Amino acid sequence: MKHPSESQLALFAGGDLAGGWERWGVGRHVSRCAACQNEVSLLRAASAEVRALTAELPKDVNWNRLAAEMTGNIRVGLAAGEAIARFDKPVAPHRLRLGWNAALVLGCATVVFVAAFWMSLPQPQAEHLMTALKRIRTERIGRLVQRPAAAPDDAVVLEASASSIQVKENGRAMSLMNPHSDGVTVSVSMRGSAGVRYVDDTGQVTTNKVYYAEQ
Amino acid sequence: MPSSKRLTGFAAALAAALMGGSTARAAVLLNIDLPKDSPVALLSAEHGDSSETARGGAMLLDLHAALSLRNSTQRRIHGVTLLITAQDVTPGGRGSVTITSLDVGPGEAFPVRIDLRLLRPLQASNNVPVQVGLDGVLFDDLSFYGLDKLGSRRNLTLSEFEARRDRKYFKSLLAEGGPQRLQQEMIESMAHSADRPSLDVQMVRGGRATNFEPEKQVQFAFLRLPDSPIEPMEGMARIAGNEARAPRLEVKNRSDRPIRYLELGWILHDRGGQEFLAGSVPAELSLAPGQKSPILENTTLKFPQHGGQPLAIESMTGFVSSVEFADGSVWIPSRADLGMPELQRVMAPSDEEQRLVQIYRKKGLKALIAELNRF
Repeated sequence: MKHPSESQLALFAGGDLAGGWERWGVGRHVSRCAACQNEVSLLRAASAEVRALTAELPKDVNWNRLAAEMTGNIRVGLAAGEAIARFDKPVAPHRLRLGWNAALVLGCATVVFVAAFWMSLPQPQAEHLMTALKRIRTERIGRLVQRPAAAPDDAVVLEASASSIQVKENGRAMSLMNPHSDGVTVSVSMRGSAGVRYVDDTGQVTTNKVYYAEQ
Repeated sequence: MPSSKRLTGFAAALAAALMGGSTARAAVLLNIDLPKDSPVALLSAEHGDSSETARGGAMLLDLHAALSLRNSTQRRIHGVTLLITAQDVTPGGRGSVTITSLDVGPGEAFPVRIDLRLLRPLQASNNVPVQVGLDGVLFDDLSFYGLDKLGSRRNLTLSEFEARRDRKYFKSLLAEGGPQRLQQEMIESMAHSADRPSLDVQMVRGGRATNFEPEKQVQFAFLRLPDSPIEPMEGMARIAGNEARAPRLEVKNRSDRPIRYLELGWILHDRGGQEFLAGSVPAELSLAPGQKSPILENTTLKFPQHGGQPLAIESMTGFVSSVEFADGSVWIPSRADLGMPELQRVMAPSDEEQRLVQIYRKKGLKALIAELNRF
């Protein structure tokens, strides 16, 4: 058995079901179906309650004025919405007041500062910074080319070049400089020393060396 | 050795760096400690353009000192080594300044230059004491004086033997071929020095591979020097790109005398066909005649980029560069050994040859002949 829909039952309960044939059909079903009878009874009871409540409203309510107030409130809401929408719109970009000349000066000053900073860095720190930059670069391109550090930070490192020899330890260093660039001989002993030999104009032969502590 | 006594101590107050108009001032204390019975005495010490400069987060101390030392003995001095320490800067390291090929008579003076640079953090103590001491003096009769903390006796003695060998060689050229032959040899020596490759090198004790190139074991090839008392048997080292580390060698004493020290020269060849002397592998041992012994060094050599290209080590060659017998006598390669093309390409001239070449360059052939005739 097919039951009427909820809307049909609601209209039927209020006596508002329009079509005569449909009203007859629903009525016939309700008379035979206990469940639908119960539903119609509940709907009619609820309707009665609503009517009772409506009857409790003040008798002097001015419905026209109430409608006008509601309309006014709706208009105020719409106007406020438009105002907020304008506020949220992106503001057209202002033209930068900084001229090209100022930008150029700023750029040059930056370049000079960076160059001066780089040139004033001691060799070990410059190498450390360069290594760090290389590591950033290699990590960014996702290809590891070279590990950054040649030795643990606390290791004693000996370095020898034509210009100087150096022993480095914990960010500190002692170098023996070579005042001559001609005829320089660099030597390294695996036992823990590095040396640079040079001959000065008088023919005197000087060998500067640096050592690990245990030697 | 009598207890040392501080003969001279002086402080050099150094001009400081000017950074943004502010001035910092510090002092390097150069303390020269010579033993009471030292065979050399300090005549004078001058500081030139020594300075202290703030750079980045560190302070650079440049110390340029010109010392004048006098031979206070009755023997001729042929070599001196000064020991330099700056405990506040590098407690794990020290330096030395050695003057070789000297011939300083009694009462005569000779100069020693010390060009030192110290790098220390800005927040460190302002006073940086630098100690200069005497490690050893070698006399013309091969006797030695000094604490010998740096192995100066052996180094100075080897240098003296090389000097005698080379003077003898040049004098023989002069006797056999006259001044022209000597001149020709000087010119060839200068040409070899100009052609000899030289690389910067970094060395780390213990060490580990610091790049990602695969490490491989590479066998040594050996140059056989005919009269060498040591015969290298086999050897290998770990090579990774521009790094060479942990050489392991086995040598045999083929002489009839016990040996207590030896050094092997280490030549590296790169993929581009270049070769250069990487360094030496020394060993203190007790090697009876006919006995074999391993030599192990857990050290890493790293060679920075060469001419913009990373060095790629391909193969290695070893040779015996010096031997010290138990009785203190030494063996060094002969001039004929050094004339082998493989050695001539990479070996630097001796201290004495370099000195004689400089005399020839600066003063001419006559001055060179006169110098040779002094010995």
